[in-house]
Order: sequence, then C-alpha cells, then structure tokens
Amino acid sequence: MAILAGRADVVPVVRSYKSVARNANLGAPHRLGDAMRAESLERALDGCDAVVNLTTGDPSEIVRTTKNVYAAAVAAGARVLVHLSSATVYGQIERPDLPDDAPPRLDHWMPYARQKGLAENFLRERMADGRLAIVVLRPGLVWGPGSPWVLGPANDLVRGGAYLVGDGSGICNLMYVDDLVRSIHAVVARPVTGFYNVADDETTTWRTFYGALAAGLGVNMNAVHRVSGDRYRAGLHDRLDAVRSLRAYRWLKDRLALETRTALKLRLAELRGGDEPAMSGTRSAVVTRTFWDLQTTRCSLPTSLFRATFGHQNRGSFASGLAASLAWLRFIGLDERAFAHELDSQAS
Amino acid sequence: MPDLVIVASPPGRHAEHAAAAFAAGSNVLCEKPMAASVADAEHMLGAARHSGRVLAVGLVRRMFPSLVEARALLDAGALGDDLRFSYREGLVYSWPVSTDAAFRRATAGGGVLMDFGSHALDFLAALFGTPAVHAYADDAYGDGVETNCRIELALPRASGVVQLSWSQPLVTGLHIVGSKGELTLQPSRVDSVRWRRSGESWRTLKSTVAWPTDLRRAGEWRTPRTYYDCIHAQLVQALRAVLWGEPVPATGENGLAVAQVIEACYRHPDPLRIPWLTPEEQAQTQHRHWSVERSAAA
Repeated sequence: MAILAGRADVVPVVRSYKSVARNANLGAPHRLGDAMRAESLERALDGCDAVVNLTTGDPSEIVRTTKNVYAAAVAAGARVLVHLSSATVYGQIERPDLPDDAPPRLDHWMPYARQKGLAENFLRERMADGRLAIVVLRPGLVWGPGSPWVLGPANDLVRGGAYLVGDGSGICNLMYVDDLVRSIHAVVARPVTGFYNVADDETTTWRTFYGALAAGLGVNMNAVHRVSGDRYRAGLHDRLDAVRSLRAYRWLKDRLALETRTALKLRLAELRGGDEPAMSGTRSAVVTRTFWDLQTTRCSLPTSLFRATFGHQNRGSFASGLAASLAWLRFIGLDERAFAHELDSQAS
Repeated sequence: MPDLVIVASPPGRHAEHAAAAFAAGSNVLCEKPMAASVADAEHMLGAARHSGRVLAVGLVRRMFPSLVEARALLDAGALGDDLRFSYREGLVYSWPVSTDAAFRRATAGGGVLMDFGSHALDFLAALFGTPAVHAYADDAYGDGVETNCRIELALPRASGVVQLSWSQPLVTGLHIVGSKGELTLQPSRVDSVRWRRSGESWRTLKSTVAWPTDLRRAGEWRTPRTYYDCIHAQLVQALRAVLWGEPVPATGENGLAVAQVIEACYRHPDPLRIPWLTPEEQAQTQHRHWSVERSAAA
C-alpha cells in the first residue's frame, strides 16, 4: 500500500524473478538479491537507508542469511536494520512475567525456532558494535488476509479437520498484519536498538479465534474435534515431517524429475481424498506438534517494551481483523456459500 | 530447416518469431498466449496460411481427458439447461522464470489474464462456445499488469464468472450448475470430473480418453494422467499434424479467439474491488487504476 500511496522509496528485494509476479500489478521497480549470496545482496541494498529483513526459506539458511543481510546493510551504510524474528524463539509462553527481551530458547524442538534464536544471538553480539541500529521484532502469529494462520484453520474448519486442544482456552498470540507494518514504519522512523515483541492488544483464545472464523464461514463449532491437552502424541504428519527434514530425503527429492514428483503428489492426494471440494466435512483431525504447542500456550506475549519505546501502533481490533480475513477468504473462494450467492446473482 | 519450431519467447515476440519460422518453411507450435494482441494473432494466422504450414497453439488443456468427459456430459444433457459456472484459478506465482518479461505489459501484453487466462478462456470456449465479455475488472495500477482479475462472460451454452490470480491461493476449479445437475473439475486432475444429478450423491468419472504417444500411424495410445503427459501428447499431436496431416489440438483460430476475448477485457477494464482493504485504501486503488491513468493520458 505504501507504493500505491505514491512512495517511491520502498524497494522490494526478491531472490528470483518469479517473486516479482505477486507485486507485478504495482509496476514498481524491484531489485534482485539472494540472501544466501553476500555479494548479490550488497548490490541489491546499495543506497538503502533502512533494511527490513523478511527473508524466508529453509530453517538451515536462517543464520547465514541473517549474517549476509547484516553485512550488506553495513556495507550499504544503512542507518537501521529491522530484523523480523518470531515469538517462537521463546517456545511456549508459560509465565506472565517473561521479560520482553528474554533470550531465545536454543533447545527448542523446532529447527525454525532454534535457528531464529541463533540468528537473534548473532545480532545481539553485533548490537554492541554500534555500526547501525539493529531492531529485532518478535511478532506473534501474523494474521489477516493472506496469512497461513488464517487459511490453515479456515481450510480445516470448512473441510472438517479443525480441532481444539483441551477446551480451547490456550492463548492465541496474534499480530494483525497491517499493525505489524505500522510497527515497522515506527521503528524505521525512530530506531532504538533492542529486542521487542509485537502482538495485538486483545487477548484471544484459540476457542475464540476458531469460533469467530467458524461463525463467519457458516461452520458449526460442534463439528470441531477436541483433542486432549494432557500431552502431545506424535501423529503421522509429524513423523512424515521428521522424514522430510532428513538430508537423505532432500537429496532424493532434488534428484527426482518434476514430472515424477508431480505424479507422486497426485497419487498421494488421491489416496487421502486431498483436494476434493469441501462437500463432506467429515475429515479427521491431523494434530501437529506445532499447533498442539501453540494451542497450549498459557500466557500473552509481553509487548510493553515496544509500546514504551515506539508508542502504541496498533489501529485494528480483533473484530476488524476478522472482518478483513473473512472478506479475503470469501475472495479466494473458501466459503462455498459465496459460490451459491454468485450463482443466484447470475440467475437474477 | 526444422520440421517444427516451438515458439516459447515472450508473447510480444511470438508473431515476429512465428512469421520467421513460416518464412523459412517450418511448421510452428506456439506457446500460449498465441499473441499479445489480435493484430499479432491475425498476422500469425495469415503467415501460416500463406506458407501452407501448420500453426498449433500450446493451449494444452485441449488434451485434458476431463475436458472431453465434461463436454460429453454436457452434450448428453446430463446437467440440463440454464448452465451457469464459476471458474477460479489462482496461486502465489511460483513458475521458475529467467527474466521478468512475463510481468511487463510491453513484453507480455498483460498479466495473469494473458497467462492462466489463455488456458481458462480456451477451456471454456471448448466447452461452451466462443465467449463474449460482459464485464472485466483487474488490479493493475500505473505501469503494472494485473495479478488478479474477474471476468463476467456469456457464451452460447452458459454464462458465468472467471476469477484468476497470481498472488492469491484461490480455491481452484470449474463448477458448472444446470437445471438437472452439477459438475466440478480441477486443472490439476486432468483425467477426472466429479458430477451429480440434482439430489443424488457426487460421483467421480475417471476418464479413459487416450491420445497417441508416438508418431507411428498404428502406434500406442494412452490416457494422460498428469499435466506433463498432456504436454507430451500435445507435442506428439503437433508432430503428427506435420507428418500425417492430422488435426492439431488447438488451432491458430482458437488462439485468435482467445486473443479477441483478452483484448475485449483490456479495452474497458474496471478497478477490481479488493474487499479486505479499508475504504481509504480502496479509494487509492480506484485512483491509481491503469484505466484512470490511461484515460488521463488520452
């Protein structure tokens, strides 16, 4: 929206040309830079005043890309580096008095969280150098239109695979995407080196989150599965994930022809009734450790340090974020009632 | 001189490259979209006719067994009349490309409508007849090309809405509803359709429609099961057209028809309503829409 509003000083840096497509409607210039290759990144960041690191990729690349982005930002003479970390570096939030800048848990079971933590520790050391301001933001679950934290639960609700752990009273630490962008703007305008959590103002439980999505999509909450919150039991999905993270698996996958991979994927999808239209709503719940952990979070993410330093940047509410998210879900066609409505309007 | 030249350059160069191939005495299999404009498409057709060579267009979905099955169901009246449809196709773009030519109007002619839209419009034309555009809206601003668009179409056998996206994970598929039943199919499932008569359960029809797999007159035939099988079958069929004079799956006339629909869309684009934006942001998208800037420039 910044570009649409006429700002010419916001420049997307993308790893490859295919990433230009999703913003091709803006007709804005972009730069190519691969965060895994320091020299390409230095060219891409040349002349930048502020660098916002939003790189994604394999968890094993997180530390290296963070080091490269930092080095390129320094080389470019940038005054500030904003690094998007994640609240997952804490693991589960189990105490209400957790300091905002508590160090990450490097013994976390999730490779993504461990690597994000290691990247934070690298930047913690660089903060002492004072070569540029380094602001590490740790958002909760970034939600809103386009978010996998909306699409995943909504898909599960519509297709009958949604579940709540226990009574759903776990805390869902959400961060609405537009408010995150506002927070980044505030940081860039007046950077203060440090670690800051960012999250929505309202405390939302998973029951509230799923209930609101279900109501918006016309799904009966009675159809949502209930899973015991006593302890996590690894299911097939997580066991397969463990196989997928093996080096041997990746080696084999890289050597399979695209045609073969496509045929295998189709066969697997057929076996599980995969992407058939959402008409039955009778799927079983596939519990993953990630969601089990998230749903058993007991406390809210502390954000007082961010507010004290940068002011209160959140403008939205849970209700407004939900309305926008539901509008997006209808736009992408997830709400079957939207199709019926469209047919009715065509008929009339 | 090669028997068959595959033209897979940026769409804005197709006419020039195809004409050069015809002039050299080759036949042409041209990637979709056949051309970035109706004038280019007509130029290509003229060059093909003048040279007496084959012009096949890479509208590969003509090879989908699901298309053949759906058309057979429609022809048999299984869905009844008063046919209405919704076609959605969208994902966050991930096709590996070596330049940004596909994302600039000068080289590509447009965005997602040129890209997925070529397939969608040709598929619908194969099912329902030549489309006429009732309304078109997209999200292109300034010098950009559309990453999302919505088209209202009227065709001889049906009417409906097409929604395409390069940036959103649309629930992809074609859904047709008639007075007696309904049908769904997905581009990722090239060999099956699901359908039901009103009040009955859904059933899956797995196709056995087959195409030649080699150039021998009495060679093997096989049912394509994946997109790649269809691409192979399309190439085989283009070569058989050159060798044996058999029909090509998608002709230059089919490619021209798609170009005409796309050009009709671009002639009167409205700003696409992005429903999750705030009213202020909506106003900005209206103000910056390429139709506004084009009108101002005119």
